[in-house]
Amino acid sequence: MVKYSYYPGNVARQSSFEVEDTIQPLCKSLGIELIEMVGYNSDGGNIIKQGNRELQLALNARNIALAESNGHDIITACASAQGILHETLDTFQKDPIALANANRVLEKTTGMTVSGEISTNHLLHVLVDEIGLDKVEAAVVNPLDLDIACYYGPHMQREGACGGDDAWNPNYMEQLITALGGNPVEFRTKTSSVGNPSLLSLGDSVMKMTARVLNDAKKSGAQVLVSACTQSHSNLDSYQGKAGRVASKDTNIPVVHLSEIVAFALGHFPDRFAQLRTRAIIIGS
Amino acid sequence: MPTVAKVWIEEDCITCDACQDILPEVFEVTDDTSLIKAEVREDGTFDRNTGFSAIKTEFRAEYSELIEEAADACPVEIIKFEYEAGAATEVAEEAPAAVEAVAPVAVAADTGADAGVLAGVLSGDRGLAIFFGSQTGNAAGLAEKTAKKAVAYGLEPSVIDMDGYDQSQFSTHKRILIITSTWGEGEMPDNAEELWNSTNSSNPSLAGIHYSVCAIGDTSYDEFCKAGTDWDDKFKSLGATSILEIKLCDVDFDEPWTEWVNEVLPRIACVDSSGVFHEDLVEAMIAYGAGDEDDGASDGDFAPPEIVMPTISLTMKIFRYNPVMAQSGYDTIAVALPGHATIEDALVAVKREVDGSLTFRSGGIAGHNPLTGVKANGRILPADTTRICDLVSDGATLTIEPIPGYDVLKDLMVSYDRYDNERANSKPWMAADPRQGEKLVSGAPMGVMASSEATNLHTLADVGSLQLVNAMSDTYDVDDEYSGPGIALQRWVRSQDPRSGVKHVKQMFSLMQNKGGIWDEADISSIHRHGIDGSQAADALYEARSRLLAEYKFTGRTGRLVKNYSRSVKMSGNVNETTLYRSVLGPLGLGSNLMNGVSLRMMLGFTRNGGPMMRGFQGMLVPPAGIGKIPNMFNGKVANHHEVVAIFNELDSRF
Repeated sequence: MVKYSYYPGNVARQSSFEVEDTIQPLCKSLGIELIEMVGYNSDGGNIIKQGNRELQLALNARNIALAESNGHDIITACASAQGILHETLDTFQKDPIALANANRVLEKTTGMTVSGEISTNHLLHVLVDEIGLDKVEAAVVNPLDLDIACYYGPHMQREGACGGDDAWNPNYMEQLITALGGNPVEFRTKTSSVGNPSLLSLGDSVMKMTARVLNDAKKSGAQVLVSACTQSHSNLDSYQGKAGRVASKDTNIPVVHLSEIVAFALGHFPDRFAQLRTRAIIIGS
Repeated sequence: MPTVAKVWIEEDCITCDACQDILPEVFEVTDDTSLIKAEVREDGTFDRNTGFSAIKTEFRAEYSELIEEAADACPVEIIKFEYEAGAATEVAEEAPAAVEAVAPVAVAADTGADAGVLAGVLSGDRGLAIFFGSQTGNAAGLAEKTAKKAVAYGLEPSVIDMDGYDQSQFSTHKRILIITSTWGEGEMPDNAEELWNSTNSSNPSLAGIHYSVCAIGDTSYDEFCKAGTDWDDKFKSLGATSILEIKLCDVDFDEPWTEWVNEVLPRIACVDSSGVFHEDLVEAMIAYGAGDEDDGASDGDFAPPEIVMPTISLTMKIFRYNPVMAQSGYDTIAVALPGHATIEDALVAVKREVDGSLTFRSGGIAGHNPLTGVKANGRILPADTTRICDLVSDGATLTIEPIPGYDVLKDLMVSYDRYDNERANSKPWMAADPRQGEKLVSGAPMGVMASSEATNLHTLADVGSLQLVNAMSDTYDVDDEYSGPGIALQRWVRSQDPRSGVKHVKQMFSLMQNKGGIWDEADISSIHRHGIDGSQAADALYEARSRLLAEYKFTGRTGRLVKNYSRSVKMSGNVNETTLYRSVLGPLGLGSNLMNGVSLRMMLGFTRNGGPMMRGFQGMLVPPAGIGKIPNMFNGKVANHHEVVAIFNELDSRF
């Protein structure tokens, strides 16, 4: 059993509870113990950073301090959270002044300090690098048997933030989908942004960015789009109809979180998986 | 005088007959090449003597000098010869260390009769001690320069600060150069004072040392170059041998030092490892030093490492666009290139070997042209300075496309008109108010800026290509009105320039704040991941946004988003999306979401694939209806929520 401090991010226990529903059982199936970071807070979503960089750093420092007190590296299912946590740790490791300032505030307000010496990992990279695809494949109960496009987004696609995967031409998710009995479909925009940080503040450009990814995945022959970014999922799913109208593109495609598709393949929530397969056949046709 | 034992002809004879004219008894020139006659050879063969047969003993003394003369006269230097072994033995008797290092045959032929002895001089201990006595650094600098030049003469120089040197160690050297300035009224420089005193008090024997002194001073002083002359006199009195008369240099010391160093180095280089000076070899040594000059230069200030990477075989997919036919597609080509080749090298090779119509921008010989950008496997990069081996490994596919956001003219060539027009419209150049400054010596006015401010300004926009920074944004190519992060960066830098006028700064702020400005960037993360340039630009954009929010007091939809997002986190530790949607979108936005189906998709379980639909229906029933996120209206506070509040209070009371 490998242990990680679990950071749910901004949406897994809010608007996207399906992530929380699925990550817990899938981790149990694969021998991953999720240790709660009691009292974790929002990472600021790179939105607080626009108003005050030091504030976002301090908020993340608190989360990192909680993980350090647990004694385990961090795992998250959100690419955006992974990107922000990695950037924070990278800042602390390269900029001792930023680390000292964050620690000064943190110690004064919480009594904790951070060393910045732990790592943060996305669920995808833990499954491939730590657990291993052989073990994942052996645990499959319901092979996916769908044509699946894998969306990574830009937030964690940086050197050092995406495990052993290629930051610019990633294929970990495709390997994982293959191990789960699915058929990965290549598409060009799998690391392009859908503009999630500006979903509420910008109009057409965000919709066009969203439509670009959805249409690209669909044109590549995918029946389902799997997203490693729980925040971008809002754009890709809830806004896909609007995005299609704004960009005049066909964007109809079922979109699920990475944690969901893994959980389905491992035999959890078979009723939801059946629903998804039905939707993939009807909507995706 | 050594005699020639073997002579032979190398390839590429031009049959000029010079050798035959000088010594027809040995050389005979045919239609193709000069040959060594059979009559004078031990093996009795008539050919070029590539088997290195010896000259018959009876002819050696008679023909030796003429063979050397013929070799000297050969315009293509293909006549080579070797002395009798006895010559080497003779050298060995004078310089024992030279036995193992008799000069290569080619060198012997090049430098004539002195070559064998020169080779002996060049072997063994080649140390050269260069002492400097320096008050302001001039003498130390000359010592360094002297050391660099000394290498060309086969010397192994070491530059020694007189400060702290033990005078008893002088005798361990055979070759010494002294470069010293004079301080005050004929005094030693500070770093030489102690050594001078100790040398005077102990008077060590310096017999066996060859030396010379270069003294720098100022003729306006009575005691011109006295420190140098003192050392010269002292070394002489202690038994050292002057290899060259002391050089006295005035304030403009470069020229006299150059004269001295060019004369003294070949002379002191002719001191062999046993301390014997071979004056007859000075000319040969000068030639030797001149011949090695090029090599010496490459070993001097900068010796470039050899950068050769293994060959990479890859599949190149190159975007093609024919504007006449309005057709586009990809060419797929298998290529093998040195790993250190750039993307541009690869494109040039394809253009030359496969398709001459391939069009792209070239960086030219200077390198780093900011307009050569391409999209290579998703990355925005300059084609002229990006190595293939830094992008892909052997067997990989490299997809080359035009950079996004700009109109494609043909194939990989884009038009930068969009960038140029935006830049011209926004005028992000200097518009300064009158201000206080300094004056140059000439009396001309000069602006002043603290070095920290100047450094900060340069750092803000320290990117290789602003045009490419624009292309790094995933927003730039979907929003025609967005001026791009590269333009935003210029506006931001100009607004932070303390020389900019107040009115100009306001204009820059306004351009950044309004439509087309900095808030049109939908996701700075898409820029941040593009290497150093991307992260540099992204950091500057975050800084600019922070400044604008303060300047415009969180107005506009983006201002409301940042303010309410931050307040939501402060109030609960988490993001309350319901209140966030309501406060940022407002009634019109919520209504729009209802009308365009966003709310419906949320409620009917699209977002929560297969999740309990009751959560969505709750959103329909409890105000504010419309977005189906009702549970989040009541999301609880995180544990130890007071800590989050305290962090906010500590760092930003605006929220």
